[in-house]
Amino acid sequence: MTYGEVGRRDQPEKPITILINGKKCMAREGEIVLSVALREGVAIPHLCYEASLEPYGGCRLCMVEATDHGRTSMTTACSLRATEGLEVCTDTPEVVKYRNVLFELYLAEAPKSETIKEMAARYGVTKTSFLKKIDIEDALGGKCVLCGLCVRVCTEIMGAGAINFINRGPYTVVNTPYFEANTDCLGCGACANVCPTHAIQIEDRNGERVLHSWGGIKIPLKRCSSCGKYYTPEALAVSVQNTLMPPIRSDLAGFCPACRAKKCADMEIRAHMKTEGEGNHV
Amino acid sequence: MNGLRGISARRVAGLQKIKPDRPRIAVGLATCGTAVGGDRVYRRLQEVIENSGDDIMLTKTGCMGYCREEPLVNVTIPGKPLVVLHGVSTDDADEIVRAVRAGKVPYDRVLCQIPSWDHMSGTTIEYGRGFDQVPPYEDVPFFSHQKKVVLRNTGFINPEDLDEYLAVGGYAAAKKALTEMTPDAVIVEVERSGLRGRGGAGFPTGLKWRIAKKETGDQKYVICNADEGDPGAYMNRNEMESDPHMLVEGMIIGAYAVGAGEGLIYLRAEYPLAIKRLELAISEARTCGLLGKDIFDTGFDFDIRIVTGAGAFVCGESTALVASIEGKTGRPHPRPPRLTDLGGGLWGRPTVLNNVETWCNVPVIIQNGGDWFAEIGTEKNTGTKVFSLVGAVDRVGLVEVPLGTSLNTIVYEIGNGGANGKNVKAVQTGGPSGGCIPTRLFDMPMDYESLNRVGSIMGSGGIVVMDEETNMVDIARYFINFATGESCGKCVPCREGLKHTLLLLNKIMAGKGKENDLETLELLADTIKKTSLCGLGQSAPNPVLTTLAYFREEYDARVRR
Amino acid sequence: MDEKTLDEIISRYDSPSGRLLGILEEIQTSEGYIPRDVLEMLSVKLDVRLSQLYSLVTFYSFFSLKPIGEHVVTVCMGTACHVRGAAEILTTLEKLLGIERGTTQDGKYSVTTKDNKFTLEIARCFGACSIAPVIDIDGDLYGYTTPERLPEILEDYGWREP
Repeated sequence: MTYGEVGRRDQPEKPITILINGKKCMAREGEIVLSVALREGVAIPHLCYEASLEPYGGCRLCMVEATDHGRTSMTTACSLRATEGLEVCTDTPEVVKYRNVLFELYLAEAPKSETIKEMAARYGVTKTSFLKKIDIEDALGGKCVLCGLCVRVCTEIMGAGAINFINRGPYTVVNTPYFEANTDCLGCGACANVCPTHAIQIEDRNGERVLHSWGGIKIPLKRCSSCGKYYTPEALAVSVQNTLMPPIRSDLAGFCPACRAKKCADMEIRAHMKTEGEGNHV
Repeated sequence: MNGLRGISARRVAGLQKIKPDRPRIAVGLATCGTAVGGDRVYRRLQEVIENSGDDIMLTKTGCMGYCREEPLVNVTIPGKPLVVLHGVSTDDADEIVRAVRAGKVPYDRVLCQIPSWDHMSGTTIEYGRGFDQVPPYEDVPFFSHQKKVVLRNTGFINPEDLDEYLAVGGYAAAKKALTEMTPDAVIVEVERSGLRGRGGAGFPTGLKWRIAKKETGDQKYVICNADEGDPGAYMNRNEMESDPHMLVEGMIIGAYAVGAGEGLIYLRAEYPLAIKRLELAISEARTCGLLGKDIFDTGFDFDIRIVTGAGAFVCGESTALVASIEGKTGRPHPRPPRLTDLGGGLWGRPTVLNNVETWCNVPVIIQNGGDWFAEIGTEKNTGTKVFSLVGAVDRVGLVEVPLGTSLNTIVYEIGNGGANGKNVKAVQTGGPSGGCIPTRLFDMPMDYESLNRVGSIMGSGGIVVMDEETNMVDIARYFINFATGESCGKCVPCREGLKHTLLLLNKIMAGKGKENDLETLELLADTIKKTSLCGLGQSAPNPVLTTLAYFREEYDARVRR
Repeated sequence: MDEKTLDEIISRYDSPSGRLLGILEEIQTSEGYIPRDVLEMLSVKLDVRLSQLYSLVTFYSFFSLKPIGEHVVTVCMGTACHVRGAAEILTTLEKLLGIERGTTQDGKYSVTTKDNKFTLEIARCFGACSIAPVIDIDGDLYGYTTPERLPEILEDYGWREP
């Protein structure tokens, strides 16, 4: 059982109204306030939130001031749940003051990240008073902010668990065990897709996918048995075929998505024409 | 019959061991007593007694808390008071045995005498009268301001012998709770006592139990947080080493109250003796049917297992502690859900997590009633608290006083001020997350709210004394260095913020700081406190903020204008 | 550590609570560190991803990935020890053992002498604050240490003045 299940238990579909920066917003009771705000078009900066994963509370950028039943406190919008009458303010002087310091910390921690620079600049922070972290051997090129999305997606969604956090405190990094290539990686690339700062280097070349950031893991790519183009890492194809229930029909299993779609459409049309043809005989 | 497996016989046997009809010599053998030679004293006494063939019983006890005077040795001669000897070395062994054989005590080693001792469990041990020239316990300044409730058995009984715990009224409270009280009645009694969590935050224990009891589910857990990680605090170690059954009994009562079937003690690996003694206590309790199935024939099943921590201060945080037991890294989760909620505790089950000392307070509350307990201390801070008084203080040791006792009393009357005649400058309470309190505030009462008001916390009760030679900027740096190394690294203010706080403090200590560095330092510390995910980050800047508030001139002296 | 010993350790843990850390602690205690082949073996036996085990081992300070020396000297860096001069104890030990300070990449302080005889480590607190400053050698605590007393203590473990 995971931590989020309580949230689900407390989540009847009861519609309620909450106030975000004075604006009335419809929400479901128990819904995560950050998700409500994003739906309503209220910008709250965030790095570690992803709707399909449990609230993580690591980046701290979504700090807001919340007033619930007369009690005001500062909290993260990603861990705050909507209740009737909740009032949320995203830019009180206090929130702004602390958020600016957090941005400065990010600018120092990931000095190479354009995403961070742009995000901080949107909130008026363009330089940091803290010493920038320079590590020429950094596998993530000075862009990682340890939001943990790659680790969580790899483990919780893909079930691969190829990467994880290593060390603790300011020495924390994300990588594979012993910083070497490993066989748990499916080569799916979900880590790079979900990374908010585009820190993870992946390249497809000469029939294989190379995960430069993860100890240079190499996963052979699979050719489509119809058109012959590379379309997916071998390991991922095997994993998908083993996980899907029912599995992909064997005559379609080796096709890339485009050819599979074509083949399916083709089969549908043939089947249809066949029925039509049979019908004509009557 | 289960639950009564020879218990009354063992109680009688225990009394015979505590007050035998022959002389008894007991050496205080907790970790610190052992480290300063207590075990050598024990072995030497053993040799002397074997060689002389005297009919003297030699045994071990836990620690009485007067650490500066260790090794401590207790001597009882039938009909005479218990006499505490202090600063005993192997060279004293012959003299001790010779004196005891003659019905006397070695006067140059005596600290005090105890004619009778109330174990607060309906059992008072009457040792006897005599030795008029030996000062009574109450006249020893280190003891005279103390009130021993949690430590009432430590130093008197052998922690490796269930018989002795039974002899001083042990497990009577558990029996009373299970056989005469409903779970709700137990919770009401704990609520009436006003007991608050001794791990630091001071959450009302009874309320926590009530919340957990209301939750449904197939299984609930009670956990003891014995990951005493605050440097400078070692009361939990002594509580476990000197009186392990008190913790076991407290957990049995708590488990019965909330309906938990399994208990876990999360104990740090750095405490091997505590692990050994608790393992023994648990197995003895099991043998007697005090743990296991159908305890006291009530149909209540409960057992305890020990889980060892692997060296992470952050695992004192409740969600990190649970993650650690589940085999994960100790990175805290946002709350809610709380541990007591379904889905929030260990393996998703409702879980009650309390500190060692909180559990240890439970038996005496059930035995004597919540009202009795609430009489001790102040209105909102009931009961006693064990503090470890260490650092640059004259009388180092474990001190148990009613909550609300002033720092003046603790540092000057009990601790006798600075060591080596130096003046006290400040104390640091609450471990690395606490604050530094200057002497001018020493008339403040030690309670949860007063400590928060001055920017510190109760924590687990460490009091580290600093004297005039201590540099407060260096102290702040020391604590930030500690917290940086123990940060789990999950959230940015704690992971990166503490690192930069440390860099700034290093710069200031090196004389390279500028005046605006102090402003940055203050803003950064404030940000970490307000935006961190868990209690570690939220309290880690306290040493910086309090030294900036109370000892600003020491910072100013080090920065360039 | 061979497979049989590892199986024996694993079989002692019948409850999932505390199992993973407990097993790793036993490996650390028996081998002095966590050897890579044992960790990989454990990953297969418990069906736990190697990345999770590696994450645990590098998170908790009880574990070490490098072999340690014959004797482990641990200096307590708790507050009471700090106030009573633990820093000086540490620098003196570094000097006596011929060790250069330098933070390792993982942030743990653990240095082994070239002859593999001693490993010097630091600890957050032994809870022996009353006898500060404290060092621990192979599980034996030494209280009230001073820089002057250190050579004499080390000599009991085979240290000789260079």
